[in-house]
Amino acid sequence: MNMKKPLALLLAAGLSLGLAACGNGSQGSTETPAAGGNTPSGDQTAITIWTYPIGKFGDKESVDALIAKFNEVHPEISVTLETLDYQNGDTQVTGAITAGTTPDIIMEGPERLVTNWGAAGKMVDLSDLWTDEVKADIAATSESVVSACQLDGKYYEYPLCMTTHCMAINYEMFEKAGALQYIDEETRTWTTEDFQAAMQALKDSGAAPVNGIVYCGGTGGDQGTRALVNNLYSGTYTNAEHTEYTANSPENVEALTLLQTMVNDGLLTSDASFVASDELQQFANGTAAMTFCWNASNKAQYASQVAFTPFAMAFPSDDGTPELCGGIWGFGIFDNGDQARIDAAKEFIKFVCDGDQAVESVQMTGFFPVRASLGNVYAGTEQEADAEEFLKLMPYLGDYYNVTGGWTEQRTLWFNMLQQVFSGTDPQTAADDFVSQANANIK
Amino acid sequence: MAQNPAPAVAGGKVKKQKRSQFSGMSKALVRRETISAYMFLLPSLIFFVGFVVIPMIMCLVYSFLDMGLDVGSAKFIGLSNYVEMFNDPVFRKGLLNTVIIVVVAVPSVTAFSLWVSSAIYQMKAVTRSFFRCVFYLPVVTGTVAVTVVWKWMFNTYNGLINQVFGSTHNWLGDPSTALACIIMILFTTSIGQPIVLYVAALGNVDQSLVEAAQVDGATKLQVFWKIKWPQIMPTTLYILVITTINSFQCFALIQLLTRGGPNHATDTIMYYIFDMAYNVHRFGYANAMGVILAIIIAIFSAIQFKVAKTDNG
Repeated sequence: MNMKKPLALLLAAGLSLGLAACGNGSQGSTETPAAGGNTPSGDQTAITIWTYPIGKFGDKESVDALIAKFNEVHPEISVTLETLDYQNGDTQVTGAITAGTTPDIIMEGPERLVTNWGAAGKMVDLSDLWTDEVKADIAATSESVVSACQLDGKYYEYPLCMTTHCMAINYEMFEKAGALQYIDEETRTWTTEDFQAAMQALKDSGAAPVNGIVYCGGTGGDQGTRALVNNLYSGTYTNAEHTEYTANSPENVEALTLLQTMVNDGLLTSDASFVASDELQQFANGTAAMTFCWNASNKAQYASQVAFTPFAMAFPSDDGTPELCGGIWGFGIFDNGDQARIDAAKEFIKFVCDGDQAVESVQMTGFFPVRASLGNVYAGTEQEADAEEFLKLMPYLGDYYNVTGGWTEQRTLWFNMLQQVFSGTDPQTAADDFVSQANANIK
Repeated sequence: MAQNPAPAVAGGKVKKQKRSQFSGMSKALVRRETISAYMFLLPSLIFFVGFVVIPMIMCLVYSFLDMGLDVGSAKFIGLSNYVEMFNDPVFRKGLLNTVIIVVVAVPSVTAFSLWVSSAIYQMKAVTRSFFRCVFYLPVVTGTVAVTVVWKWMFNTYNGLINQVFGSTHNWLGDPSTALACIIMILFTTSIGQPIVLYVAALGNVDQSLVEAAQVDGATKLQVFWKIKWPQIMPTTLYILVITTINSFQCFALIQLLTRGGPNHATDTIMYYIFDMAYNVHRFGYANAMGVILAIIIAIFSAIQFKVAKTDNG
């Protein structure tokens, strides 16, 4: 029997099957960073930290300088850094989890550390770091930070900083279009009616190539489009208990309908192929008159590219009182089963978040401390003016609902829903589909 | 090039021939030679088993599990993943898009490559090399780099294509054009290797047969179909198989350009596998789709072997 044909078929099937099982295609664009499973040399304990681009924590040089400081105090612990980006970071971490090569420490928010990896039993309980004094200090800033970092009584995140996510406008474009009259420059707020009037003024004046782009691609930057939809008519994304998604409420459907109409009327554009960073780039280029994905970190990142004044604003709301999505960032430890490495990782976290280093660590992020005792960490620094702008938006911090179950899954579904709405699907139908699928993922 | 023994030899004769090959050798020598042969095979065998056979088995086993990030809590659910898959509209849409990509890309890549190769293979060596370089450039450059350039070209607001045509069309964001854009980029990145292979295959066509046919009054078309085409058939078959597999596994383009959107217009099975595994963390479901994809590729490859009616696998 000629075996060539069956062998060739087996090889063809094997190539595709092997590819599926390995997880990444041969054409895949991501690469898993080095494993965290370091071996100690001599008396040294070697640990690895992965950081998302949270201010200067995405900058290798800055974090290496921090590690050098840590090593002055703890020469017995060596720390290796890997920086992640928001496009591929989640894929890299998921790949590491499935391969058993997770780092010791990871820096991100509770939606990943607690709701995702913590709930899957991959993280170490950090309750011993959460002393009563720490709890009281953080609760003095926001009770929701304390509750967001825990799940079923176990703390999977030790937070460092927080902020509110907002939007920003190109001040000069708004000025040229005569649209500044529609915003309250002091409180950084505007109503839904003002927002519509401003978009009309921009369109009529031709001051901006594009008013604003509702990006509908990817999974990151979802807080921007969520906040836009939720604020327009004061809708909610989840119920108060964070046990159910409510994005199909009449208020949200009304908001989606308004956005659909504005896109159809040319007051806004939607782009299914754009991820948040694409939209930010168009804003930085001066193509779009506003961005829906803004915070202090993005301002710092695009500072060298913008040739205009990016003016941070709250999202427009029907009553002029916005509720902004919060962002909390801190550290978690992957449970690699090695107590020595876990202890070393805790030492590193304590060094970064507690004591004398804490102020500088928060400054590295460009955000605000979760601890009330740290006060205004930017007072008297070069960052004071920038921080002041975002500090004005902190009173509008809304419910931290990112801890709702099925959070990772709903992010993809959310963008799919926006794509449907802007492809002409009835907003109520699209929102109902979204809610039913998102709720089905809550375990 | 050494010729293979005549394939028409009956089975019994082959066995006899094999026996005679070893008849002058001692058993110890035969054993030593055999062991040496296996030792030479071992490195590639280890690679094949480790990175193809074992993942294949793992994929098949995982496809029967309900498995998330917490692998320890995976549950056996029988064929549930497979049942769900065929009731899943996104999977069906992905399957349709995948088939469209394959049906459009494979014939067009093969035909275009053959056309270009036919035009350049008789040119001077320098000119031929130039064209081979030009068409092979996207392959060497790498999918990611090429895709990033295309993404900029398709940009609605300041992309080259809209600038040239003076339009504001959202090429990748419009469901009616997004898949066509993906196929076009896949086409440009897929033609390099087939052209190089066809140029080599056409250069190896027995010229004495071509000349004899021309002396007998055969037209150019007859020379191509009766003399050249049969001789380049093994190359065609190889190109068809690799282009089919590459088209089925089209992933990086979609990941970088559209992420399956808008509204699943560019979702393919390969991207949906990735989405389910890495965004939704349903590894069992993703592996079940991997199994189905493998079966589909095997069926397509079998059809191609059958149609090509050749034993040159």
